[in-house]
Amino acid sequence: MSSNLHSAGVKLLKQLARHSDVVMDVYQSGEVNESQHEPGVIDKLLKAGILWQPEADQPLRLKRTIRGFLEEALSDERNRQIDANVGSAMATIKTLAEHYKEARQRVDYSAAEAYLADLNEHVYAFTESLRYAIRVLWGRINNEFGYVGTLNAKIRENELAQSQVTELLNGLEMFHFNELTELAGDNRELRRLLVTTLQDTLSSCAQELSVVQARLLELLGRFRQIRGRTRLLKGWLLHTELHPDYRPMDHVAHKQVPVLFNRAEGILAPAAVDVHNTVQEHELMELVSRIKSITHLPEIAKPQAGDTAFALTDAGEFDVPDNPLKQAVDDYFCAVIDSGVRQSALEYLQANDLPWDSENWLYQVICGYDGLSEEYRSFFELEPVGDRHPVYTGNFIIRDVELWMA
Amino acid sequence: MSQEQVVLVGMGTLVERLLKGQFICKTTDEDGWRALQSGAMREKVEAYLNQINRTLASAADGEVYFCGYLQLGENERKVISSQFKDICSALIPMVEWLVLVQEASGQDAPLTEGAAIRLTELQGRIEDTPAFREQLAKLSQYRLFGSTSTQVDNQIKLVFRRLVELGYLVRPNSEKQIYLATGKLDYLYEVIRFIDETEGLQLEAQAETASSQRELI
Repeated sequence: MSSNLHSAGVKLLKQLARHSDVVMDVYQSGEVNESQHEPGVIDKLLKAGILWQPEADQPLRLKRTIRGFLEEALSDERNRQIDANVGSAMATIKTLAEHYKEARQRVDYSAAEAYLADLNEHVYAFTESLRYAIRVLWGRINNEFGYVGTLNAKIRENELAQSQVTELLNGLEMFHFNELTELAGDNRELRRLLVTTLQDTLSSCAQELSVVQARLLELLGRFRQIRGRTRLLKGWLLHTELHPDYRPMDHVAHKQVPVLFNRAEGILAPAAVDVHNTVQEHELMELVSRIKSITHLPEIAKPQAGDTAFALTDAGEFDVPDNPLKQAVDDYFCAVIDSGVRQSALEYLQANDLPWDSENWLYQVICGYDGLSEEYRSFFELEPVGDRHPVYTGNFIIRDVELWMA
Repeated sequence: MSQEQVVLVGMGTLVERLLKGQFICKTTDEDGWRALQSGAMREKVEAYLNQINRTLASAADGEVYFCGYLQLGENERKVISSQFKDICSALIPMVEWLVLVQEASGQDAPLTEGAAIRLTELQGRIEDTPAFREQLAKLSQYRLFGSTSTQVDNQIKLVFRRLVELGYLVRPNSEKQIYLATGKLDYLYEVIRFIDETEGLQLEAQAETASSQRELI
């Protein structure tokens, strides 16, 4: 029997896996589009109890259990079904507990064990469904019923959720723990299941449900406030349309002015200059002229226009003295022209006993050559004398330059 | 010492804003608004304002703070009366604008503090729908906005500019066309609700009947 059940289950799951895309299509669209899928596949799924037909001329749909399984596994927020039927779960648990006790009394241990396993399953399934219901409620609260579009729909969804919470809480009230304790008697297993596990779960669920209820009420209040404001605006428009000559009463004429209308005039008014007002033009001009003379330093009185001696004479010639280094370089160039031979710059420096540093001298010579106009430069040739850097390629160290007439 | 100074510096700008007649909310001045959540700060500000016959007032369940008069004399009453007239004359254009924005952006909720409006998106929707274009043309001609243009572009830009000037919107980044609603809008709802309740207009009920009648048709 149990091996049969096992193999049948495996077969069913395999079927689900094999036709998973069909199942998901149906899950998303709600019904089977028979033209899209092979009739053989649909037939198989129908026989396996995965699909069903609500009425003869209605399209095929997914079985509630499969849909519920998918909704739960995928945390689909469209899921708003909550199993609030605590009563029947309670009755089942009680019945199974009685079976178990009876089997133990009859010393039928195998039957007792089977009943206990069943009871375990039911108790845990019940607590799980409770926790699941709360999770679903929180999911809806957290996205503020975002799966429906309009505010009115949100308010209705909120009311639905509130009624579900109330039902769940009413259901939880049906649990009488003294009854369960009596039922469990002195049986350790039953006490653990019916008293400890259930009590813990139920008290935490009841607590959480009350928080959920508070949040729902708060949300509902906010939705109503928003709707109230919309209606207020619309109502105002309607009212002013219907009564075009409507003016609000003078609510500030009473002795007691409502706090809402007690608004002080701004003392510190934002200021701006009206430049288009010609009457103020004179004042503005005066202000502007004063702006220029603002100074934070003590002004030293200085004669603005004193008498200074002034003689009208011919402008004397003046001369900017040349840099002596530059002049020496010019002399060097002239010496090359005069001698007409190739001459080292450093040798010239030493021969003439010039005071400059050799490096400065070389720089100035090279600059002097590069500074010549194209026409004059073509008369000279300048060659750097030096060597390559021993380590770093591409660097050439100039030790001397030689100049000669081209 | 330094803590004290920080508090005082924060209080200075806060009091300044209040004295300018501005509304302090989370969107316009988050630091100031948060500071006012503390009782000690409120007391300090109140004590300061009391010296110049002002008091700290709040509306919309503490979402917005503003400055009111402590004692009402002849002059203060005049000011309040003229402010009340201003806000009453702003009610119709503002409500029309709020409804237009809500309908054009297809939202359930009307604008409230902190909500963002993307001007280009809104403009596109209004331009595409003749009914919205008409509504915009009508409301932009109210004295509050004072548009004389026939172009949607000019009308909507002017309306938004005026709303920023009046403090109903802020534009956090001047390079972007994104506007945020301020707490002054929440204040406006309070004003409408106050008028509704005191005069017994039953605006919500009127709107509900109208919408259910429309459903019947």
